[in-house]
Amino acid sequence: MRIKKIWKRVIISIIILGFFFLAVFLLVRFTPKPPEEKVAYARIALSEATSSKADTYSKNLYREAKAMYDSAIINWQEENKHFIYFRNFEKVASFAELSARKAEQSAKISKNNVTDLNIYLKQKIDKLNNIAEQIDKRFSYYPLSSEVWKRISKGKMLLKESEVAYRKGQYTQAKFKVADSELLLTESYEKANTDLKEYFNSYPVWKNWADKTIRESRQNQSYSIIIDKYSRKCLVYLGGIKKYEYHVELGKNWVGDKRVKGDKATPEGMYKIIKKFGSNKTKYHKALLIDYPNEKDKEEFKKEIASGTLPKSAKIGNLIEIHGDGGRGIDWTEGCIALTDSEMDVVFKIANEGTPVTIVGSMVNLDQLLD
Amino acid sequence: MKNKVLMGLAVIAMVAVLSSCGKKPQAEIDAANAAIEAAKTAEAAVYVPAELAAVQDSLNAVTADITAKESKLFKNFKGETAKLASVLTLANKVAADAATKKEEVKAEAANLMTGIKTVIDENVKLIPKLPRGKEGAAVIEQIKAEVATVDAAVVEAKGLFDKGSYMDALNKVKAAKEKADSLNAEVKEVLTKARIKF
Repeated sequence: MRIKKIWKRVIISIIILGFFFLAVFLLVRFTPKPPEEKVAYARIALSEATSSKADTYSKNLYREAKAMYDSAIINWQEENKHFIYFRNFEKVASFAELSARKAEQSAKISKNNVTDLNIYLKQKIDKLNNIAEQIDKRFSYYPLSSEVWKRISKGKMLLKESEVAYRKGQYTQAKFKVADSELLLTESYEKANTDLKEYFNSYPVWKNWADKTIRESRQNQSYSIIIDKYSRKCLVYLGGIKKYEYHVELGKNWVGDKRVKGDKATPEGMYKIIKKFGSNKTKYHKALLIDYPNEKDKEEFKKEIASGTLPKSAKIGNLIEIHGDGGRGIDWTEGCIALTDSEMDVVFKIANEGTPVTIVGSMVNLDQLLD
Repeated sequence: MKNKVLMGLAVIAMVAVLSSCGKKPQAEIDAANAAIEAAKTAEAAVYVPAELAAVQDSLNAVTADITAKESKLFKNFKGETAKLASVLTLANKVAADAATKKEEVKAEAANLMTGIKTVIDENVKLIPKLPRGKEGAAVIEQIKAEVATVDAAVVEAKGLFDKGSYMDALNKVKAAKEKADSLNAEVKEVLTKARIKF
């Protein structure tokens, strides 16, 4: 009897355990499965997008990918709260797939953007460095205003900053700085270039004057003086051959012709020496007065007054000299042409009343000068 | 009767134990998240971005694993708890590395700002010695403008430095120093050619 009871208990235990394991089997086998592999794939794709700097160079798509991934996880966690048989992971799978797709796209776009930006920035930086070089080459002798020089300097500084950012791989920052630099440098360069080209439109006239002066010197076997303003040279010819060449300093506003008294411009034209002043007669060591304004200058002045481009109260300038006291390193005169005292001694010795003095913008055309 | 009741209770207990083995390690998750936030506050994104991205990815991986485990009937978070401890250690290291790197950048920026002052002062002393002649006039004007621009850049860099934006300050002062150095070299070259002592 007792043995019967024991067997009964054993059989009941086996049946209960059997039902238990059957229940477990059914729960494990037929419950909805979460898309673990898809979520893992999306996570890896997002990580690779981050390594490709998609968060910088493909920002919007990267953010969407990240948002989709976060939605997948949140959705998954929400579904886990439901009873196991009532869970639905379709949305989780969908978000994960979308996240992976966007992450892969953003990584690809980012890599392309980085390559393109690298090339673009290198070209821009090279171009702007070239413009900066051209500015230095063309305008070392040309009086740009301090405001223009400030803009050019700021442009060069921004260019330098963009180079530093470029070297560090910070392409977005480099791009902004290059754009600002380009604006400053190209605007200033174009404006200054236009002004310079306009000034050199008078080159044919200057060449004509210079050729005539040299021809006369050759024909008369006499001295002639040519002042080349752009190159800051005083050229002394004898018999048509250049004998001396000295550096000069001019009026602050030397570009263009002299128009009115006090404009600090050095005139352009064909003149003659009308008076010599020794050291006791001038404060500038020695001086040679020229016949500015000549008839042509007076005619031009009258035309400007008549047309209203000069006010009626304007006065024509005078007392333009070649004199000493130069060598200061800047254009400082009121319109005169200054040499150092020792060089003035030489010019003073060879010049006489009547010696031609021709003042031109340049004896060389702009293209040759820039070459 | 008593045995049947005991048997029933034993079965229920077995099911309960097996199905709820392991609680989600919420405290460890919160600690890891807090550590990563601390790393972000320490500007890890600026100073050690790759490290920050790596630790964030590690946390994402563990979070996904935990969520997967929560889907299961029989849960065991032992492995994930250990991984979270590693993430916490790593995040703390990232924060420390960010702080170290920040100090290095700060020191480098400070050094450059001191160095550039020396170059600027020298430039200011040398400019009046530039040779007199046609090159002197407009070139001096140009150089003066560039010295002024470098000065302005240094002031901007100092402003960024005082605000604690050391990386931006470093970039700015680096560019300014390169400019000042090239000006210095240019001026010295002109003086040497003109045989003017300096």
